[in-house]
Amino acid sequence: MDRTDPTKVAILGAGRGGRALLELLHQIPSIEIVGIADRDPDAPGMQRARELQIPATTHVPDLTGNHGVSLIMDVTGDPEMERYLHAHKPPAADILSGSASRLLWTLVQHESTLEAELLQSEKLAGIGSFAAGIAHDINNPLQLILGLAENLTEEQDLAAVHEQAHDIIEAVKRTSAICRDLTRYSRRASPHQDLLVSVNEKLDEALKIARYAASLHDIDMVKQYQPGAVVKGNPDELLHVLVNLITNAVHAMELVGGTLTLTTTLMDGQVHVQISDTGCGIPPDKISEIFEPFFTTKAPGKGTGLGLYNVKTIVDKMHGTIAVDSHVDKGTTLTLIFPNAELAGQGRLS
Amino acid sequence: MGEFKSGFFIGGEACEGRVLVVDDEPDIRKVVKMTLQKAGYEVLEAENGEKAIEVINSGENRLLLDVVICDIRMPKINGAEAVAYFRANYPRVPLIVLTGFPDTDMATSFLRQGVVDYLVKPVEGEKLRSAVARALEQRELAKL
Repeated sequence: MDRTDPTKVAILGAGRGGRALLELLHQIPSIEIVGIADRDPDAPGMQRARELQIPATTHVPDLTGNHGVSLIMDVTGDPEMERYLHAHKPPAADILSGSASRLLWTLVQHESTLEAELLQSEKLAGIGSFAAGIAHDINNPLQLILGLAENLTEEQDLAAVHEQAHDIIEAVKRTSAICRDLTRYSRRASPHQDLLVSVNEKLDEALKIARYAASLHDIDMVKQYQPGAVVKGNPDELLHVLVNLITNAVHAMELVGGTLTLTTTLMDGQVHVQISDTGCGIPPDKISEIFEPFFTTKAPGKGTGLGLYNVKTIVDKMHGTIAVDSHVDKGTTLTLIFPNAELAGQGRLS
Repeated sequence: MGEFKSGFFIGGEACEGRVLVVDDEPDIRKVVKMTLQKAGYEVLEAENGEKAIEVINSGENRLLLDVVICDIRMPKINGAEAVAYFRANYPRVPLIVLTGFPDTDMATSFLRQGVVDYLVKPVEGEKLRSAVARALEQRELAKL
């Protein structure tokens, strides 16, 4: 993509369609939204624009009178508006309206559905590989519960009965926590794209999930979290990213063991998140390919090849970047860099 | 090896046999121990394959251990490695695999290596005790 001046877009109509366009275009670095207009100041797109600090107006000429505008997107569906625009548009501006804008709206909807489907399928495919870990973590407490319950049927000592009943309750709680964590992870990502998310909490949550995908038994864990590492994005999607990266790191150390280091650092208004392993590393000629769709080093049927591709999609959406530093047989460090959302100080913490 | 028999005496009580339970979960070791002690077995514990190998190689255990019950998914030396070690170095000690993850391929491979039983958690006390009894019979037969 060429790095010329951004395309300046005005959106007319702030209903569902206008809001979706705003949301999509806002994420594209080469597009600048100069404003959105609607008769209703409380329309969903108007509220969203105010959150994103994009000008929102009830007065269409405010936008059409702006001579810097290069594209006016009319999603009002109002034939009057179409006539008005053709009479009053700035000379350099193109207009997208009527069936063209409806088609665009449909494509936008379709693309976001496809992206969500892809994320969800990759996540579910990954959960298939959790079976061994889940079985282990559920059947162990079940063994304890069964053994204690069998013993209770003939236990005479009242104090022992109380103690063992208590152990059973604790084991049931542990088991139900497993189901709670997994169902929370496996559900479709919520549509919220702009919540404040504590990276440190998400890293810990991701560790709980990643242990089903890969045994952490022979892994030494080092956590270096800086408090206040907060980013803006979709908490479910960030969790998905971290589970993916931690699982990859642990797989890289499979059989030989090693050290997994999770670091968060606040630096120059940015949050740096590092996931570091001392595993097999990535050959230099493969590094450029790892974010390509269907790239995998795993055996057929073991990986979808979509893990890092989806990671990149989500990180891009969060206005973040990914850096890879890898040395064969020494290990790999993936660094995610996000804008520090705490500075902006809006939205709510999830 | 014919001079050692099951049914020797420890602390004045009849002992049905000495069983080593290898599992990284203390809860599992506790409950398996509870289940087997009721049937008169003496139970030793190890938290992973490495510790299990230490236990079997220490002092009289080398001679007196009758059955090993082994988990698979464990840190350090895992169950599969421990099973291979026991089969190679102590072929007369019968092995029972007790795992949280049912896997047909793994079960077949273990049974081919001479593992007496492949049990999936949660297993009832009665089933566990009869597996141990069967393993002991096998040990007796091996001595003949």
